[in-house]
Amino acid sequence: MASPNVSGQAYAFMAMTPVMPGEEQPLAEYLRGLRARGPSPLARLARTHLARFVIVPDFKNDPTWKQRHEEHLDLNYLIFTSNLDGDLDSYLDELCEKLAPEAKEIWGRCVGCPESAEGAALKTYLRHNQIDTGIFFAAYGEATVATVRKALREREKMIAFAIRAQGMAPAALHEAFLAEFIGAQ
Amino acid sequence: MSIQTPAPAPITATGTQPRNHDGQAIAITVFSTIKLWGRVFLPVLFFVTRRIPKLTGTLRQLSFIHFARWTVIGKLPYNGPPQKKGRFRYPHMYFESNFNGGWEEYIDAFSHILTDGMTAFWGSSYGFPKPLPTAPFKRYIQDNETEADHYYCAYPEATSTMIQRSLELDKKLVALKRDARRMDPDAFAAAYRRFLTDAQNAL
Repeated sequence: MASPNVSGQAYAFMAMTPVMPGEEQPLAEYLRGLRARGPSPLARLARTHLARFVIVPDFKNDPTWKQRHEEHLDLNYLIFTSNLDGDLDSYLDELCEKLAPEAKEIWGRCVGCPESAEGAALKTYLRHNQIDTGIFFAAYGEATVATVRKALREREKMIAFAIRAQGMAPAALHEAFLAEFIGAQ
Repeated sequence: MSIQTPAPAPITATGTQPRNHDGQAIAITVFSTIKLWGRVFLPVLFFVTRRIPKLTGTLRQLSFIHFARWTVIGKLPYNGPPQKKGRFRYPHMYFESNFNGGWEEYIDAFSHILTDGMTAFWGSSYGFPKPLPTAPFKRYIQDNETEADHYYCAYPEATSTMIQRSLELDKKLVALKRDARRMDPDAFAAAYRRFLTDAQNAL
């Protein structure tokens, strides 16, 4: 039976980990400051399409909803979700290796995270806190990040070529096309 | 302890918070609390939806979505104290979407095009006001939305439509490239014109 986490070749990963009391603000500041410190560390994971870190402080309770009992989270929780290419196992290997500098600052602030926050121990921790998806929709789930980027580049190239090639005679058009799209390969 | 947010960040032109953006891509993250009957209904709905792909066909009409997911959470994995062990009293639904365009337009399109689907997915959530009219529904989403602390997109300059068109174009271009070598100039010029006509929507 197909995994509910899979659509095409894309995989929906989600881990929800409890933040240690007192670490909520430092964790939020660290995550919010990632952009200011340079490119997103998630860019190092070449199989990541879109991903996010979200700290959830509590569930919403509203007296007008006629919910019989209020419900609150016991702690703040860190959600990490990623829409990734291929299998999760090798992706988590890459994550635990390539995100090692950041992982201690991120999951190292969560309850139960191994002291080192890297390698096999971190992978086991993330696996333990994985939550399966109910429905996963991927508009282009058959395409990897590399495929998407290549297709975008080719489209740009084709648009430029189509403009340049307007009015060319057949021989010149053929030669220019081969030079542009075949010669460079 | 709750996280201090000194001053609310300004809403961007796309109608959402700055940290929910990476280039064209926008993140939406929503939790809702599910009534007890949803504990049975939603897993059945998810099961059926996964097995009948046609049911997600309407989602494909919303060409500005990259990826979206719905997840029901009844309990969380236990990691030791001070985390409390046990199931939630109510199940909770996690929804995330990655899309482009404007937040308001996104919710409008969801409400108008996926009216039945929205009712099926959120009908068992406390406080859900029905998808139409859209104003109360937008308030509901806003009230239940959590801003991302960090959001990443591998191709921030591209919209979902642009990607889907580029992938279509690429398939056609591969065929033209394959055939170009063995064609004479006149045959190639004719094939190139057919390609442009065929691929014009993708350019």
